[in-house]
Amino acid sequence: MNDHDKRDFLAGLEAEVDALMRGETTRRTFITRFGQMTGMLAASGPILGLMTDWALAQQKLELADAGSPLGQAQAAAMKASMEGPADGSAFRAVEAAKTHSGVTLNMTYEVGLQALDPRNFSGPMWEQLTGMKSNVVELSNPDQYSKAVAEHIAGSGAYDVLDISPAWTPSLADGGVIAPLDDYIAKYMNPADLEDYHPLYKALPTYKGKIWGFFDDGDMFALYYRKDIFEDPKMVEAYQAKFNAKLAPPKTWEEYAQIAQFITDQMAPNVYGAGHFRKAGSPGNQFDFLQQYRANGGKLFGDDMKAGLVSDAGVKTLQNMIAANAASIPGNNELDAVSLWAAFLTGKVAMIYSWPPSGRMAANYSQSATAINFIPQSQIAGKVGYAVVPGNPEHATGFNKALSADSANPEAAYLFMQWVCSPPVSLARCMLPYALRDPYRISHFKSELYGALFPSAKEYLSNLNSSANVGLLDPIMPGAQDYFLSIDRMCTAVWAGADPKASLETAAAEWNETTDRLGVDSQKAFYTEFLKLPGATADNTVEKLGMAVTL
Amino acid sequence: MQPTATISRLKAAGAPPRLSGFAQWADRHFKWLLVAPAVLLILALSVYPLLFSLVVSFINYDFQVPGHAFVGLKNFERVVFDPVARWSLWLTAWLSGISVAIEFVLGLLVALTMVRSFPGRGVIMSILIVPLFISPVIVGQAWTLLLQRPFGPTNYILTQLLGQEVTIGWMTESPWLYFSLIIADVWQWTPFMFVILLAGLTAIPPNLYEAAELDGVNAWQAFWAITLPHLAPMMLLALTFRLLDAIRMFDTIFIMTGGGPGTRTYTASYYLYTVGFTQFHLSQATAGSWLFLIFTALVVMLLVRRLLKTEPV
Repeated sequence: MNDHDKRDFLAGLEAEVDALMRGETTRRTFITRFGQMTGMLAASGPILGLMTDWALAQQKLELADAGSPLGQAQAAAMKASMEGPADGSAFRAVEAAKTHSGVTLNMTYEVGLQALDPRNFSGPMWEQLTGMKSNVVELSNPDQYSKAVAEHIAGSGAYDVLDISPAWTPSLADGGVIAPLDDYIAKYMNPADLEDYHPLYKALPTYKGKIWGFFDDGDMFALYYRKDIFEDPKMVEAYQAKFNAKLAPPKTWEEYAQIAQFITDQMAPNVYGAGHFRKAGSPGNQFDFLQQYRANGGKLFGDDMKAGLVSDAGVKTLQNMIAANAASIPGNNELDAVSLWAAFLTGKVAMIYSWPPSGRMAANYSQSATAINFIPQSQIAGKVGYAVVPGNPEHATGFNKALSADSANPEAAYLFMQWVCSPPVSLARCMLPYALRDPYRISHFKSELYGALFPSAKEYLSNLNSSANVGLLDPIMPGAQDYFLSIDRMCTAVWAGADPKASLETAAAEWNETTDRLGVDSQKAFYTEFLKLPGATADNTVEKLGMAVTL
Repeated sequence: MQPTATISRLKAAGAPPRLSGFAQWADRHFKWLLVAPAVLLILALSVYPLLFSLVVSFINYDFQVPGHAFVGLKNFERVVFDPVARWSLWLTAWLSGISVAIEFVLGLLVALTMVRSFPGRGVIMSILIVPLFISPVIVGQAWTLLLQRPFGPTNYILTQLLGQEVTIGWMTESPWLYFSLIIADVWQWTPFMFVILLAGLTAIPPNLYEAAELDGVNAWQAFWAITLPHLAPMMLLALTFRLLDAIRMFDTIFIMTGGGPGTRTYTASYYLYTVGFTQFHLSQATAGSWLFLIFTALVVMLLVRRLLKTEPV
């Protein structure tokens, strides 16, 4: 060691000794403290986890006033679950589920309002009845598919009950993500409760002859219109004078655009004839195009599985939609579903077609829940009429409850599904003001309690049933997201001025690419399966198949 | 201090405690222990996903197509030959270029204005930088509320100001929708430019300006001869940071236009999101991400090289 090195060494040593004498941190104390800190961090995980669980835990069972229709429906659901009838699906599910007491079911739900039902009502009630807890996993709509698949690939068994779009059933079934229910149904379910489904919805979870879930949300489009405007003598007279026809809810799409334009001409800027949710990415474009296109005789695919979009029906559909847009409220093409509701509820629009909550909101029923107070109070309560959308209305997506094939407690999960979708329980859930679950059982449409929710609730239910009788289903096959996205892009491009025919060609090319990617033969097989369902085309609606439900 | 003095002080402190075997090992490998958590985290959260994504881009990893067969360059081919991907890349470059340029000019102007002290400067500066702290999603939502018809007040205000009815579709009609996206971005990120450039301006020695003043240099000449050369490294830094951020533009587009009309407002990020998380073609999205990464890396390399070469005058 030379002098320079020695000086450096001594200086370093002196500094270390000084630090030691002052009690400053040494390597050893650092390692000790680092170890302690790591230990604390490791311990904090479960503690934080407990706190998170507590924060996200389901609420206490939230029940409505016992004298209200909802309160009575909830009491009836509880009674049916506890006392029977003994052959009822709710009672049988609860009795069988008691052996699974203590199990926690992990269930996916769409994030937001949809998840309030299992958190505030069905989850706590199920726990009270069976001792089984529920862990609600809130996911965005696309994640309800992608997470389910990802967890299946990982084999995590993260979910027991999946809330899925019916369009995903074939992919998830063939991919082994969901399990068939037939054996459980045979063992536990009252067949009469299966027959209680409206025929449009009953077959929705059926694929390749097996049942892959329970349908659980009747997302039927319907027409909501301002009765006071349609019945205004001056408007009726003016319409008669101009078109030599009675001013009434439209039966065709040409008539729809004509009436919308007439009301706009007569009443704008106070009221406009119509409004639509046409914003890119909001699903209004795909649903509207699909319902009008098929009502106009359009076929989705040819025999060779080439897209059928480029057709007279396609051009006619887009032209009708453009005419309706022109007759609508300014900014029509920028509206999403919520802003369309805002426009309708504040009285700026005379006609909309949308999901069933439109009717409940228009009657100011939904707004009774604080969770949904971002929707404006209805200024048109008591002035709204209900009609079937011209041609054939779209059943715009909906939800199936499906059993995860990786569930560690498949029987317990199934029993929850059976119970939650059983007639009395599902009725109470559909009546929750905030839950966005819409009637789908025949017993829902006939329910006196639901009919007493707001003054025109019976007409509302009757119209939803009539709509389902002639309703059309979204295509149920792999690649549905791709096909829908292409329609949305096509429509918004046309609204921005693109040529309809050229846009149809672009969309058709995208459809063909999707079909090629997924395999033409395979897609053809899926499409063939889909065509077997009532409501797959305008030629085989429930009504045309002779299965229409009359209330 | 003499060595004997140190030794006697150590003796006075008493014999050091005997180290256990583990403590001795820890003592020997102390430096590795220090970096180990960070290295493990980087390996787990960055390197592994990066390598996995590289694998995914060469196989079929599609939530709609069963199996993970090797497909070679098919996923890359799909992206390269997708006109939407090409458009989104072009739009990304165009939108980020224009936005950052405007933000730079405005940021510089504001920084030059704010460099001198005046009453209320602190308050104004605080207000100016508020947009920086707002989530881009909220910014998008706020501008949507301002611009969206029929509820947004923008067209009404313009109608009142211009004396004729204004019916612009700010989020659905070209070219207005691009203006809307640029305005939202500029509103949020001009303060970033301002803050960085102001820091650069305050670092310029004031005696340079005093000497220049004595030499009879006017303000414009001082800007060119003193401010600009001294501020150049900061300018490049601000432009680099901002450009890197701008090419990831997603949030405001997601909220304001949803990528539409058609695919007119698809940026690269929005395109990749749509392919990956709306259509579930994960391997195609991953291949696209790699291509996008390569383009980004080229831009970054150019900018960083230039940044490293820049030296203050």
